[in-house]
Amino acid sequence: MLEKAIFLLFAVPTVVAGVAILLSKNIVRMAFWLIAMLIAVGGLYFLMGAYFLGVIQIMVYVGGVAVLLVFGVMLTSRQLAPKLRPGPMETVWLAAVSMALLLGLVLSVAQVRWVQGPIASPNSPAEIGHSVMGDFLGPFELASVLLLVAMLGAAYLARPKVPVQSPEGSKETTI
Amino acid sequence: MMGPMPYVILSVLLLVLGLAIVISKRNAIVMLIGVEFILNAAALNLVAFSRHGAGDLSGQTAALFVIVIASAEAVVALAIFLNFYHRIATVDIDRGDQLRG
Repeated sequence: MLEKAIFLLFAVPTVVAGVAILLSKNIVRMAFWLIAMLIAVGGLYFLMGAYFLGVIQIMVYVGGVAVLLVFGVMLTSRQLAPKLRPGPMETVWLAAVSMALLLGLVLSVAQVRWVQGPIASPNSPAEIGHSVMGDFLGPFELASVLLLVAMLGAAYLARPKVPVQSPEGSKETTI
Repeated sequence: MMGPMPYVILSVLLLVLGLAIVISKRNAIVMLIGVEFILNAAALNLVAFSRHGAGDLSGQTAALFVIVIASAEAVVALAIFLNFYHRIATVDIDRGDQLRG
């Protein structure tokens, strides 16, 4: 009973945040609702006993990704921000596609007969570390390469394109 | 004790909401917010099945990788959109067809 109450306490804000983003027109408010959704999902991780993952969710997502998105919003939204509302015809299509997908997924999920396995006990960060460095060693190394490539690629893509004086003097090039 | 069912239903809702956000919004950064919804739905599923089905830690570790990939994706996509903004002075996705090489 208590578990259900806590589940609802975290599950309702995630859905509310999604609907609020769909209906909102203010981009900064959308970023705020994203943060609310991320914290609520982190709370669900805590409820499922994944304490380490919940902390990582809040640290990396809320502390990193959400702040990054807020910076992106502030760097790009001027007066000529694009209109955010879809037209009436697009709304009809959007609702049709979303409802079809929702109905299909919910019906297919409802037909599954779940076999309840043993409930995993709450775990410590050390066990996660053993799992990452043991079974998931290959993906771990790939993830480190991915992070390096993403960092270099982002720094390359977002650099300012200022014309610089080449050493010969007259000719101007852009790097 | 709840089974994995409520988490899976919530994950379906998050997926549909994220997809609707990606489809309906024209602002590229708001589309990124929708992608975050979709990735969180996937990670929630992984953790729920890790707890109720497999009974080991593999799902949680996979969710950790989902978080890593989501952050890398957000960084690169934001860099691309900033570049786009510097060229066209908007983040309207519909103007993307003006890009030529």
